[in-house]
Amino acid sequence: GPGTHCVDWGTYRASLQGLTDRKTTDPMEKMSRVTTALGGSALTGRTMHCHLDAPANAISVCRDAAQVVVAGRSIFKIYAIEDEQFVEKLNLRVGRKPSLNLSCADVVWHQMDENLLATAATNGVVVTWNLGRPSRNKQDQLFTEHKRTVNKVCFHPTEAHVLLSGSQDGFMKCFDLRRKDSVSTFSGEAPEAGRAGGEVRWVHHRPPDTFPESTKRVGEDQLGKGQSESVRDVQFSIRDYFTFASTFENGNVQLWDIRRPDRCERMFTAHNGPVFCCDWHPEDRGWLATGGRDKMVKVWDMTTHRAKEVHCVQTIASVARVKWRPECRHHLATCSMMVDHNIYVWDVRRPFVPAAMFEEHRDVTTGIAWRHPHDPSFLLSGSKDSTLCQHLFRDASQPVERANPEGLCYGLFGDLAFAAKESLVATESGRKPYAGDRRHPIFFKRKLDPAEPFVGLASSALSVFEIEPGSGSMSWFVDTAERYALAGRPLAELCDHNAKVARELGRNQVAQTWTMLRIIYCSPGLASATSLNHSVGKGSSCGLPLMNSFNLKDMAPGLGSETRLDRSKGDTRSDTVLLDSSATLITNEDNEETEGSDVPADYLLGDVEGEEEELYLLDPEHAHPEEPEYVLPQEAFPLRHEIVDTPPGPEHLQDKADSPHVSGSEADAASLAPVDSSFSLISISHALYDTRLPPDFFSALVCDMLRFYAEQGDVQMAVSVLIVLGERVRKDIDEQTQEHWYTSYIDLLQRFCLWNVSNQVVKLSTSRAISCLNQASTTLHVNCSHCKRPMSSRGWVCDRCHRCASMCAVCHHVVKGLFVWCQGCSHGGHLQHIMKWLEGSSHCPAGCGHLCEYS
Amino acid sequence: MLPLQHDAQMDYYGTRLATCSSDRSVKIFDVRNGGQILIADLRGHEGPVWQVAWAHPMYGNILASCSYDRKVIIWKEENGTWEKTHEHTGHDSSVNSVCWAPHDYGLILACGSSDGAISLLTYTGEGQWEVKKINNAHTIGCNAVSWAPAVVPGSLIDQPSGQKPNYIKKFASGGCDNLIKLWKEEEDGQWKEEQKLEAHSDWVRDVAWAPSIGLPTSTIASCSQDGRVFIWTCDDTSGNTWSPKLLHKFNDVVWHVSWSITANILAVSGGDNKVTLWKESVDGQWVCISDVNKGQGSVSASVTEGQQNEQ
Repeated sequence: GPGTHCVDWGTYRASLQGLTDRKTTDPMEKMSRVTTALGGSALTGRTMHCHLDAPANAISVCRDAAQVVVAGRSIFKIYAIEDEQFVEKLNLRVGRKPSLNLSCADVVWHQMDENLLATAATNGVVVTWNLGRPSRNKQDQLFTEHKRTVNKVCFHPTEAHVLLSGSQDGFMKCFDLRRKDSVSTFSGEAPEAGRAGGEVRWVHHRPPDTFPESTKRVGEDQLGKGQSESVRDVQFSIRDYFTFASTFENGNVQLWDIRRPDRCERMFTAHNGPVFCCDWHPEDRGWLATGGRDKMVKVWDMTTHRAKEVHCVQTIASVARVKWRPECRHHLATCSMMVDHNIYVWDVRRPFVPAAMFEEHRDVTTGIAWRHPHDPSFLLSGSKDSTLCQHLFRDASQPVERANPEGLCYGLFGDLAFAAKESLVATESGRKPYAGDRRHPIFFKRKLDPAEPFVGLASSALSVFEIEPGSGSMSWFVDTAERYALAGRPLAELCDHNAKVARELGRNQVAQTWTMLRIIYCSPGLASATSLNHSVGKGSSCGLPLMNSFNLKDMAPGLGSETRLDRSKGDTRSDTVLLDSSATLITNEDNEETEGSDVPADYLLGDVEGEEEELYLLDPEHAHPEEPEYVLPQEAFPLRHEIVDTPPGPEHLQDKADSPHVSGSEADAASLAPVDSSFSLISISHALYDTRLPPDFFSALVCDMLRFYAEQGDVQMAVSVLIVLGERVRKDIDEQTQEHWYTSYIDLLQRFCLWNVSNQVVKLSTSRAISCLNQASTTLHVNCSHCKRPMSSRGWVCDRCHRCASMCAVCHHVVKGLFVWCQGCSHGGHLQHIMKWLEGSSHCPAGCGHLCEYS
Repeated sequence: MLPLQHDAQMDYYGTRLATCSSDRSVKIFDVRNGGQILIADLRGHEGPVWQVAWAHPMYGNILASCSYDRKVIIWKEENGTWEKTHEHTGHDSSVNSVCWAPHDYGLILACGSSDGAISLLTYTGEGQWEVKKINNAHTIGCNAVSWAPAVVPGSLIDQPSGQKPNYIKKFASGGCDNLIKLWKEEEDGQWKEEQKLEAHSDWVRDVAWAPSIGLPTSTIASCSQDGRVFIWTCDDTSGNTWSPKLLHKFNDVVWHVSWSITANILAVSGGDNKVTLWKESVDGQWVCISDVNKGQGSVSASVTEGQQNEQ
């Protein structure tokens, strides 16, 4: 009856003795005979595929390299590989009712016997097939010893009758095909884990499908107690006759001597998670490649005392199969069991990018096999997408070729970062550095070490090249930006100064341009005339910073109206001033003195204004506007208003854009002014032409010059000239271009962290879109004076404590208007009250004990 | 040993250099004052990392990287430590290129992949990223993406106050179909192919839209497997007529083109491991600057042995 019994060592040894006896013929001799049998003629063929009836689980190639067997749950066929196509030769699934024994998880074609195949069934049965049988049914032997799916079957490379199987049930079994039962069983369980070692069990029973359910597997169940990890792959060593490797679900790899089923020779943890596959190197005796769910392929040197990891390839999906590529020592092919449908060929020395990639399959690739053990160019594969493919290596896509081996980046200062493949560098280093090469590598990450075995290994050197001034370095930009004077002095002085700066930086063309601008726009000989306006230009801007430091955006509407009132007053006053100044601007004698537009806007503000006005009034004979287009006073100074009262946002600007003439009486005054002063125009115009051409004559040229500089990438020059010349050229260049130059220049300045210069440019810019940048980027974070939490809403009332946040700490009334507060304790109040309070005490008036600081 | 480096990018202020390499790592170096200090080694990719890109500093210190592992990772520095802030896994194949849109548009990242698609990730706040995908942008694969500088139709001040100006968002992509394509965002937020630029006879390896510093025209540089570098310019305002000018035909693959920040010098790196610098002369011809005439020898940046500041 069915059951289990143990066979003693003697019988076992005897059976193995048979193996050993046959080993007297040198395996190498057999190998070479196999090769010879395959014929020396080169394989021919092309990349091709054929459709199968069902998904494939595994494939195996006949030793003649002309046939391939495909096995799956519902397919088991042999195809002939012809030059142009696959031709179905034999269907091994015969019989009326499909047997589970035919549901194949793996198939292997014997590499010595063209008639011998073995399959591993998902129900645990191992079947051998003899193609030499005359009947339609080629099934030869049936081993029903495993109790769960058999994942792998493997013939001994040189021994015709020895078959090895590895199963989900945790056992490996060695079969002698001349016997009905397995010769020995190997347990994947670690020897120290407690299972009785040295016991060889022989399990006898009939095929499961005929097996009575009641008595089934009693012994096996016992055998299954304390069960070990599932076996995923078993592979006979190609060179060591008695050795085979097995891989396990738990990440272990075991090395067995086929004569010693009691314990494995060696065991080590190879992967994190299941090891799905392994493959012995066809030439390197000790090399075993393993692939795991951890997406790695590892190559182990098994000849050393401890298995040593010699290579590790990181793939992007779990590794289901691995096969060394023939004749290519460092190449192996892999495929994945999920997500990734491609087949990759890796150079183990190039562990991140595959050397080749086959992308033919539309579903998971389940089986791969090199067509001929000595031909590296033909790979066969079967897939869940129900196709069988032949891939030609030359048709593979090569991701390494796609990979960009170089990195290049321009730095801010014109320096270049360059990372390049080191093998290239190595050849390069033989060359002499170019004489006069002005790029100096400032660092290298790696020194080439000739002793290091880097041949074929991909690595990089990273260098940063500095570029000397003049050839593209941006240091001139920074120097220029910092040193240029853009306003606050007469035009001639500005031009002279900037010309000097440019000359000192070796930028002669730029220097020349500044000088020419000076000649064009300033009358000769008068450049050094003392400037009346100097006092204005240098005039203190007292009070202004304080005013500006209060952003009143979120304050009471009452305040808004107050300031608006102020502003309109200011408008009136300064408009008159400006009319005068712009009129004075172009008078031939004194234009240097009254560079109104070049004076920073804030200089015109505050207390100074009165003086300025008086100055002009004292000098009425200078009011000789000769060019009508200069009479555009409001446009010349749009910024002034914004700085005074910091309007809430662009809508205010919008208003202004719509009505440049402010309103009412001021507008009238403005439009009247040029008429008044136009008398003198005629009287002096002759004299002007005597000395020089009108600056207007050159404006087209100057604009071209600006555009030239901008196109050259020197937007700095364009903007600087634009600011310095102010009204003289502004009208000739369209607003959008100017805006673009400004934004470009400001962005550059900010990249170089030249915040002050950037701010100055924003302030001096006449473009409304630019000047609102200053406001857009100002944020005030306010804390509630009661709960000290940040105020999120815009109102006066704190969201959290629902109390009014802007109470004066001195008078306890709501502050409408200027509110000053301490940034330390958030308390504050009316400016006047706080100032008064601080005269007497430095502690917070709210009594919080804070020593308040007001800047 | 330094594994194969695939990209190196300096940040906005030129103080930090990000590199990425085959060994899956992304590294950030402080390169101020000519030094080179490793400040971060970012691990998270499972394949070679092809490219890195710095976001504009107004959004904080943000770096994007793309890899062979089909992922795009966005890294952010918070309180001095770099961490992964987002992972985009929407591609079916290697992601070859990442490029941040001009800061004016917000945080938008374009990613070009070997699966032929280009995806656009837009930060919508609170750690959320919205994904738009252009499928089949380039058959066989997209190798490079590069944004056009922010351009506003009409003047900035025409925009209603308080609203963001209506930027026309555009970017260029280069692919294995030998084409350069220009993409434009439609009003409904969908991306549409605007132009197809044909001149290369092999894979386009890199495209670089020139910064528009003071330039009246739009300019794109492209380089290819065919060894040629083209400069494309568009003068008309509609942006429809692009004309190529051959900068040079090299003997080997040209991997990268990179504009200097003022867009007047183009750096070109090729398979011969040389970097050459090119500048447009007054007559509109592109010349290799510091050429033999000036006694400079070749501009090739010969990388010789030697080292300083070894890591």
